[in-house]
Amino acid sequence: MSTPERSSFTTRPDASGRRWRRIFLIIGAAVFVYALLAPLTSTDAAQAIGVPLLADRLWFRIATIIAMFAVMASAWNIIGGLTGYAAFGNVAFFGIGAYTTGMLIAKAKWPFFAALPAAPLASAAFATLIGVPLLRLRGHYFAVASLGTGVAVGEVIQNVDFRGHPVFGGSTGLFLPIVGRDITYFYLMVGAAVLTVAVTWWVLRSRFGYGLIAIRENEEAAAVMGVDTTAYKVSAFALAAALTGLAGGIFAQWNVFINQENVFPIEYNIQMILMALIGGAGTLFGPIIGAVLLQLLIQFLSGSLPISADIPFVPADARPVLAQVILGLLVVAVVVFVPRGVIDFFGGQSRLSLGYLRRSLRETSV
Amino acid sequence: MAYIVQLVVLGLLIGGVYVAVGVGFGLVWGVLNIVNLSHGALVIVGSYLTWKLFSSYGLDPFLSLPLDAALLFGIGYALQRLLINRVIRAPLLFTFLLTFGVNLVIINVLLFLFKSDFRSVTPSYAGAGLNLGPLVLPYTRLASLAIALLLAGILGLILGRTRTGLAIQAVGADRDAAQLVGIDLRHIYALTFGLGAACAGVAGGLIALIQAITPTAGEPYTLQAFVVVILGGLGRVSATVVGGLLFGLIEVFAQSIPGSGSVYANAIAFGLLVLVLVTRPQGLLGRKP
Repeated sequence: MSTPERSSFTTRPDASGRRWRRIFLIIGAAVFVYALLAPLTSTDAAQAIGVPLLADRLWFRIATIIAMFAVMASAWNIIGGLTGYAAFGNVAFFGIGAYTTGMLIAKAKWPFFAALPAAPLASAAFATLIGVPLLRLRGHYFAVASLGTGVAVGEVIQNVDFRGHPVFGGSTGLFLPIVGRDITYFYLMVGAAVLTVAVTWWVLRSRFGYGLIAIRENEEAAAVMGVDTTAYKVSAFALAAALTGLAGGIFAQWNVFINQENVFPIEYNIQMILMALIGGAGTLFGPIIGAVLLQLLIQFLSGSLPISADIPFVPADARPVLAQVILGLLVVAVVVFVPRGVIDFFGGQSRLSLGYLRRSLRETSV
Repeated sequence: MAYIVQLVVLGLLIGGVYVAVGVGFGLVWGVLNIVNLSHGALVIVGSYLTWKLFSSYGLDPFLSLPLDAALLFGIGYALQRLLINRVIRAPLLFTFLLTFGVNLVIINVLLFLFKSDFRSVTPSYAGAGLNLGPLVLPYTRLASLAIALLLAGILGLILGRTRTGLAIQAVGADRDAAQLVGIDLRHIYALTFGLGAACAGVAGGLIALIQAITPTAGEPYTLQAFVVVILGGLGRVSATVVGGLLFGLIEVFAQSIPGSGSVYANAIAFGLLVLVLVTRPQGLLGRKP
């Protein structure tokens, strides 16, 4: 994560890179506007005046999931991409956010909009608490310790009980009253994604963000330059946790049912990292692009897209397993073929050429 | 008092499994600087081979251990030679991700092949045990501990007494210098990973005897192997043996606390991990870095 040539903040893209970037931005903006407005055509008012249906419930359910992963991948980007700490347990913050909102609504009978702000607060508080010891660790030690956080928190939440009664709903999980309609949660989740991008945009331009990048490039040098590395790292971790927790809080009420399996899945860790890497870790929109591409692929492979075609030789019930296998192979492929990351994919030299692949393989292999 | 003795014995017996899981993980980490997140999945591949040979051909589970080792050695050698060697000089996040990806593939292929049903290996002597007054020591557990220690011993001998072992140690100490004296890095890397995977295979065979297995049953073992290795200290087989036995003891005692239990396996491992990393990062027997 710390080789100097991987920082895309100082290099200017060449002419063809700029052209690609512009084309991509236009396409991206068009897709975004369509995705934002299409769900409105499904409302009763729109149907009454005869607007053609551009998106049914299934489509914006998938769009909501994509927005959710966009939040998680973008939030991971702050600690993983910018600060260079390989956080492998961010799913803990998603789960804590979900359970905070879930508990407040299901047990304390709070209304959703009062309970939602508690989710990012609880996740950020937890991240600060474990961040102080964990962020002293480097490399493998931090990576595995954070991975352990994700697994351990889920396990504790599922199993902790008080005088024989599970505190957090146990293995049954928590059931929330049904409130609002899918379209509300779609806009909430998109709102969370926009907020995450806005926060990242601010971080990238702030003194705080430059401090984080300095830590990624060389932590000792950053400390010598006067960056309070512990405070910066813990703040970045807490910020990522707060945004991830927000997505978890929205998910809890949207899904109305949460348990250990749906809010602490260990694959989410790898998915968010892969999304950030595919799109470009350390960049503003990279994780969003990665989230859209990877989530569409996963949804297609697992057979939940309405356009899903049959895949030869694969029975329908084996599709989710196949999706996981492909996800694993994709991780392997991304790592082996673009080991320096796909960072400024649409800027700088073309990273799709065979020559580039050969060069990068030669540099990293024995 | 008898209760405490019982816990100590039980802890040491369980610790045997952690020794077996830990030595291969520690070897790969120490020499290749790879934290192998697919270690738990490789362990379970060994368990499934033992189960398959037992349930389909009636082969005694202890006799299938060499076969587990051989199969996993092959898988490990190929994995390192074909995949991991290509990114071994890349930043840490990438080898980490790569092994996570391999883990995902192995687990889901196992799910596809064997479904998520619980499988167990129950030879005729499964319930028999050594009767010591209030204590009953199951023979399978005693044999597992003995085999785990034997495995660690064999690995120690390979590393310390054979030319190949010395080459592996040389690569671990300084890979550029090792290359200068004519060591074929690619081969030694693959051999090291293969040996680590073979240990995982043996561990898997032992695990099949003491617990029901599913494709995901190996996941806790990856985190636990990491904790075992840092508990003892990275870089020596003997330190991992101490780490494994100690981890078994700590786990048994932690689970005997009222309100706790086996459901907290990961949480206990994680708590211990944070404690060790914060207080004594070089491990109990490790030297100051």
